[in-house]
Amino acid sequence: MAKTILIVDDSASVRQVVSIALKGAGYEVITANDGKDALSKMTGVRIHLIISDVNMPNMDGITFVAEAKKLPAYKFTPIIMLTTESQDDKKKQAQAAGAKAWVTKPFQPDQMLSAVSKLVAP
Amino acid sequence: MANVVIAAVALAVGVGVGYALRSRQDPARPTGALLPPDGQAQDLTRFAGAMTPVWSAQIDSSRTQMETAVGQLTETFAGIVENLDTVLTSSSGVLDDGQGGVFARSRERLGEVVGTLDSALTGKREALAELHDLLSLNEELRQMSGEVTRIASQTNLLALNAAIEAQRIGEAGAAFGVVASEVRQLADRSQNTSVRMVEKVDKVAQAISGVLVTQEASAEHEGTAVAHAHGEVQAVLDDLMGMLSKMRESSQGLEQAAVGIRGEISESLVNLQFQDRVNQMLEHLRDNIGRFPDVAQAAATGTAPLDAQVLLDELAARYTMAEEHQAHQSGSATKVNESEITFF
Repeated sequence: MAKTILIVDDSASVRQVVSIALKGAGYEVITANDGKDALSKMTGVRIHLIISDVNMPNMDGITFVAEAKKLPAYKFTPIIMLTTESQDDKKKQAQAAGAKAWVTKPFQPDQMLSAVSKLVAP
Repeated sequence: MANVVIAAVALAVGVGVGYALRSRQDPARPTGALLPPDGQAQDLTRFAGAMTPVWSAQIDSSRTQMETAVGQLTETFAGIVENLDTVLTSSSGVLDDGQGGVFARSRERLGEVVGTLDSALTGKREALAELHDLLSLNEELRQMSGEVTRIASQTNLLALNAAIEAQRIGEAGAAFGVVASEVRQLADRSQNTSVRMVEKVDKVAQAISGVLVTQEASAEHEGTAVAHAHGEVQAVLDDLMGMLSKMRESSQGLEQAAVGIRGEISESLVNLQFQDRVNQMLEHLRDNIGRFPDVAQAAATGTAPLDAQVLLDELAARYTMAEEHQAHQSGSATKVNESEITFF
C-alpha cells in the first residue's frame, strides 16, 4: 500500500513539481492551495506525511502546522516545510509549531526524496 | 513583457534620482529626504497615480502569463513521466513473461513433438530388426526342410532296399516287405511335406523381404524427416531466441533512455521552480510600486518628505529569499543559493 503525502503550496507549478518527484518514487499525492484548503482535505483521510510552503494566502504554513498538530489524527504526522524563506526566526517558528524538517527552494528532487524517506518509507 | 516592466521601473528610478539630484543642489532641504519643487508636487502625484497602476498591471500580466506557461509545462512533464512509466511497466512485463515462460514452453512443446517422432522411428527400426531376425529364422527353416528332404530320400532308398531284400527272402520276408512299403510311403509323404514346407518358407521369405524393403525405405524417409524436423525446431527456437534477445536489447535501450529522460526531467524540475521565486519577487515589487502614489501624495501635501528609504524599507520587509536581500544590498543580481535541508 503506497503512502500518501499532502502537498500544500499556493504555487501550482511547485505543487506539480513536487508531485512528479513523489509519484516517481511510488507515493500517492494529495494537493492543497493553502493551509485552510489543506485542513479541509485532511478530514477522514489517511495522510502519512505533509509538505507545506510557509508563505501562503488565507492561512500561512506555520499557522497550518500548528492547526494540524491540534488534530488527534495528525498529532504525530511528520511535516516538512518547503519554502523560499531564508529568515532563521521563521525556521524556529516552524520547529516550535511541530515541523520535522526545513527544505529551501529550489529543491533537488533526490534531496527531497531522501528527506521524505527519512520520515516515511514509500 | 519583462522589458516593459524593467523600463517602467527604470523610469520610476529615473524620476526619483532626478529629484534626488535637484534636492542635493538645494542645501535648505532636509538630509535623507527628497522634496519635489513646490510647482511640481501635484505633477508628481498625478504622474505616480497614472503610472503605477499600469506598472502593476504589467507585472501582474507577466506573472499570470509565466504561471500559466510554467503550469502547462509542468503538466506536460507529468504526462511524459506517466507515459514513460506506463511504457516501461508494460514492456518489462511482456519481456519477463517472454523470457521466463513463452520460450521455455515453446521449447518444451516442440521437444515433445520431435520426441514423439523419434520414438516412432525407433519403434519402426526395432520392428525392422525383428523382421530381419524372422528372415534369418525362415532361412534356418529352409535349411531344415532341405535336411528333411534328404532324410526322406535316404529313408526311401533304405525302404526300397528293404523291400528288395524282403522279396528275395520270399514267404518269410512278406511281413517285412509290408513294413518296408509303409516306410517308403512315409518317406514319400515326408518328402512331399518337406517340398511344401520349402514352398511356404519361400513365400514367407518373399513376404518378409517385401515388407523389409518397403519399411526400410519408409524408415529412411522418416529418419530424414525427423532429422529435418530437429533442424526446423532448432531453427525456430534460434529465431525465437534471437527475437527475444533483440527485444531484451530494445528493452534495455528503452530503460537506459528512460533513465536519461528521468535525469533530464529531474534537472528540469529544479529549474521549473524559478517561476515560484520570480513570481514572489514580482509580487513584492508590484506591492511596493503600488505604495508610490501614497508616498508622492504625502510629499505633495507636505505631510511627509519624499523619502525613498521609506519605500525601500517596506520592500526589504517583504523579502523572503536570501538573494532578494543580497540584490537589495549590492544593487546587482545575485546567484540563487543551493537548497538546504535542516532536520529538527
